[in-house]
Amino acid sequence: MIEIDHVSQTFRTSGRQAHLALSDISLTIEDGAFVSILGPSGCGKSTLLYIVGGFVSPTEGQARVKGRAITGPGPDRGPVFQEFALFPWKTVLGNVMYGPRQQGVKAAEAEAQSRRLIEMVGLKGFENFYPKELSGGMKQRVALARTLAYHPAVLLMDEPFGALDAHTRTRLQNDLLNIWERDRKTVLFVTHSVDEAVFLSDKVVVMTRAPGRIKEIIDIELPRPRRRAELLLDPRYQKYVVEIERMIDDTSEDGLRP
Amino acid sequence: MMARALSHLAPLLACLGLLAIWQAGSLMLNTESFPTAIEAVRAVPLILGDRESVINILDSLRRMAIAFAAALLFAVPLGLMMGRSRLVASFFNPLLMITYPVPKAALMPIIMLWLGVGDLAKMLVIFLGVSLPVIYHSFQGARAVEEKMLWSGAAMGLSAPQRMIRIVLPAALPEILTGCRTGLVLALITMVTSEMIARQSGAGNILFNSLDMGQYDTVYAMIIIIGAMGIGLDAAFEKLRSRLVRWSEPGFDIPLSFA
Ligand SMILES: Nc1ncnc2c1ncn2[C@@H]1O[C@H](COP(=O)(O)OP(=O)(O)OP(=O)(O)O)[C@@H](O)[C@H]1O
Ligand SMILES: [Mg+2]
Repeated sequence: MIEIDHVSQTFRTSGRQAHLALSDISLTIEDGAFVSILGPSGCGKSTLLYIVGGFVSPTEGQARVKGRAITGPGPDRGPVFQEFALFPWKTVLGNVMYGPRQQGVKAAEAEAQSRRLIEMVGLKGFENFYPKELSGGMKQRVALARTLAYHPAVLLMDEPFGALDAHTRTRLQNDLLNIWERDRKTVLFVTHSVDEAVFLSDKVVVMTRAPGRIKEIIDIELPRPRRRAELLLDPRYQKYVVEIERMIDDTSEDGLRP
Repeated sequence: MMARALSHLAPLLACLGLLAIWQAGSLMLNTESFPTAIEAVRAVPLILGDRESVINILDSLRRMAIAFAAALLFAVPLGLMMGRSRLVASFFNPLLMITYPVPKAALMPIIMLWLGVGDLAKMLVIFLGVSLPVIYHSFQGARAVEEKMLWSGAAMGLSAPQRMIRIVLPAALPEILTGCRTGLVLALITMVTSEMIARQSGAGNILFNSLDMGQYDTVYAMIIIIGAMGIGLDAAFEKLRSRLVRWSEPGFDIPLSFA
């Protein structure tokens, strides 16, 4: 269980100004839950993920994993960064193998696993390419495979499908759901796509324009396993999407007329 | 194809051009202290055929190699730590600011007072000359490492020292090697000047002794030899560098269609 308990985050900018990025966030994420975060750009979604990852410590409040305060990063929580942050001196295979090797998995086994993951994200044949030689969407898929490779119990995904074409996106959404259903991971998933959030999640958290607060938490009560083709025709699904889109429109309006 | 062959020949043509200008210049000036290019080039094999001279030159190169290696072992870790720790940086930065503009060879007389005229003094001067650019570039390289890369490593379970060696070092390598290349050229320069001040052995010693004795063709031949060593070392290092950081070279696999 992940507990985010009255967390606020203030940044000091280079201009010495205090900037409130997150304001009093409280959120509980059950083990094995798939939770998406939606909200306008700059509302603090990434920052919230960094706090759970242990990369940033909140100025106020506390985040806990399994009842223990988060003091730093660990292999139990695997981030997929918006910026990919691949190791440019490693090939695709080298990047994906990095985590398992670090965890002490034997080279041959790590390689076999990594090759399977690379195939799953549709990059078979690119194993020996360097990040420099990949497109944005390809890098994003390597970043996803690299994190999945070391089997973190919690996935912290920051717009992991943002740079993908619709087709690849749908395929990877299904793959992610399969992995999640098989391994029962806890997923915290940032996205800008309402469709995606409803399709994947148990819970959707809608945030307000900066300073980020939680505006609404919506439980998505759609049966699983979910199939996209069926869901698109399901009126309950359509209702969720419309309802959340309206909510987000409201948050944007708030920003336009302060 | 044509362009490619030409670009391979270009350095050779440049050298020949330089020699030709030299030849013409010395014929026009016609003074004893400026031998013609042909005379100087002719003296090169004489020096390289002389056992004593070759031992001297090898001695120089040995000092340079040891001092260069020692400088890398010192400067790269220091620069990287400065790049990642504000505390370390604020401690060492003022020291470096003071040492940076001082010509390292100018310290030679002082160092000789402590360490004598032997190898140690000369190697220390070379060490200082190499260290500064390498520290500076390692510092810049370490500072520019993307934070999310370090975070990714931390999430995989790398400890802080491991992140330093396995993420900061490789990520900063292109910048570090740029510093090393500058350092290599500076090593050669400080090597020669240190031997000019502490005459005892070495390539610089041959050069300045023959200058004192008015053997100008030897002087110029030594300049050619030292220059050639510089070009050779730099080319060899550049080859090594581009192999090590092939992953960072812009578009190294893109065929040059417009060439
Ligand atoms: N290191 C930092 N220093 C100062 N301000 C920061 C820093 N990181 C983030 N911020 C500020 O915090 C706010 C939230 O940033 P964050 O990256 O979390 O937004 P986001 O919701 O992920 O946006 P996007 O959807 O565009 O990715 C922004 O206003 C940003 O300017
Ligand atoms: Mg973000």
